[in-house]
Amino acid sequence: MLRYARLYACFVRFSFSRAMEFRMDFFFRIGMDALWYFVNLAFFWVLYRHTASLGGWGYDQVLVFVGGVFFVDALHMTIFSNNLWWLPITINKGDLDYYLVRPVSSLFFLSLRDFAANSFVNLFMALGVLAWTLAHFPEPLGALPVTLYIAMLFLGLFLYYVLHMLFLIPSFWMHTGGGLREIFYALEPYATRPHGVFRGWVRRILVSLLPFALIMSFPAQALLEDLALPVLAHMAGATAAAFLLMLWLWRRGLRAYVSASS
Amino acid sequence: MIDVENLGKTFSVHAKEPGLKGSLKALFRRQVVTKPAVRDVRFHVDEGEIVGLVGANGAGKTTLVKMLAGIIYPTAGDARVLGFRPWERDNRFRRQIALIMGQKAQLWWDLPAEDCFLLLKEIYQIPQDRYRAALDELATLLEVRTLLNIQIRRLSLGERMKMELIAALLHRPRVVYLDEPTIGLDLTAQRAIRDFILRYREEHRPAMIVTSHYMEDIERLCRRILILREGELVFDGSLEKVVRTYAEHKVVTAHLARTENGAPVSSDVERLGQIELCNDVTIRLRVERARVAEVAAELLRRYPVADIAIEEIDIGTIIERIQRARQEVRT
Repeated sequence: MLRYARLYACFVRFSFSRAMEFRMDFFFRIGMDALWYFVNLAFFWVLYRHTASLGGWGYDQVLVFVGGVFFVDALHMTIFSNNLWWLPITINKGDLDYYLVRPVSSLFFLSLRDFAANSFVNLFMALGVLAWTLAHFPEPLGALPVTLYIAMLFLGLFLYYVLHMLFLIPSFWMHTGGGLREIFYALEPYATRPHGVFRGWVRRILVSLLPFALIMSFPAQALLEDLALPVLAHMAGATAAAFLLMLWLWRRGLRAYVSASS
Repeated sequence: MIDVENLGKTFSVHAKEPGLKGSLKALFRRQVVTKPAVRDVRFHVDEGEIVGLVGANGAGKTTLVKMLAGIIYPTAGDARVLGFRPWERDNRFRRQIALIMGQKAQLWWDLPAEDCFLLLKEIYQIPQDRYRAALDELATLLEVRTLLNIQIRRLSLGERMKMELIAALLHRPRVVYLDEPTIGLDLTAQRAIRDFILRYREEHRPAMIVTSHYMEDIERLCRRILILREGELVFDGSLEKVVRTYAEHKVVTAHLARTENGAPVSSDVERLGQIELCNDVTIRLRVERARVAEVAAELLRRYPVADIAIEEIDIGTIIERIQRARQEVRT
């Protein structure tokens, strides 16, 4: 475990060195993410000028949810996003070879080697928004529920990663992950909206088969509706099942890996 | 150290007729073709041995190396490297092997080499003193000490290859796979890499498998070669054995002193051997081994020979013939 922590520290150090080589790109990406935060906040602000409630949540409650969305998204962008973007290309071009000969988990290496240093800066912005929304919530939020909320956001982050991987691993067989990746990006916005706005079978799918609603909306529900235990149990069960499925698929994928001709 | 038993690998690929019509057909109904890349290969490599793996493009060299490095799974047979099945990817196995692919970089393009080496130090858990000693030794041998802090992308191809070698050998592997280590390099860089590999072998005694299309790599580095043809191992033995077995001829070249008699008459020369070149300054003949002494004496007697050379047929030519057809090679 300690060894992997030290390895990850290396990844972070090198990623910072690399990111700072390209100054314009570094600042441009920070600006882009800031714009995305602004657009999302503006979206809900405009929406609540026309309605008092969305899926049972008022404006202050949605702001807490949006704070969580920014936080999880910034973490995903910082830790996983770059790596997962390249994964299908790496598989398709046969560039997995060197990762497979190293005495380190290939899943760890390929998921975490590239730490997005510019998104890391955005993480502070996201953290600021999250802290502000929690502090300005009109009713007092206890320390324990807030701590649990943050812990559930981390669990949501992990589920986000696992779901993303489940849409990428089939590249081992399909040789191009383009189609499935697009489907993932089409489903991703369902995680950034309060799940209460969905009804019927769409909602049932979003909390079970394609559990995107669990990533960010469930933690907010646990905090705002005092449902911590059942929500946590649901999230933990779904995440564990998705993770086991991902591990199984990854192993099958590595068996099917054919590399590329020299 | 490396034991290979009837190893095989078959790929399934889909065939497509040319043009748009073919693409449309393939969209709904694919014709899957199985392509054997490696068939029933069996050999053994000992500690300190450098074995050359030779074959034409598509002969199965890289596929074989990738199976032995644990990158891809075989579809038949078995192999043990340092007592492990490579494709089971046991960390104890992976800590003791290295793979260098001349056509694929392993180092991070935007970082100085030494930063990349630090990452490898963590990956292989190399103690600081051992890491420092290995890096000093390798960088000195390869003459790149002053380049360690320069970004990889700013280095020449030859310098990058040297850094790749350091990256692969820092953890002192006991088995090393070198897949086209000198590809694309100029002659000086090729020679430097070859000299380094030989010195490294002398000092550390790893088992090495080298694939290369450059015959000079094979001749300089390997005493033993494996020849693959369409996935099949058609020869396993020493370089001398290849020559002895497959080259029944030698090349006799006589350089003639200039005289007023003009060029030798071809019909006279033809009786001595198969003419490769015949003009007023040079006679080059392919001669049966048993007749070499007799033909050399005859040339000296008949012509104004200033110098004479007797050589083996180029090893590359022999291997090329073996690759083309096993039966055709008895030259």
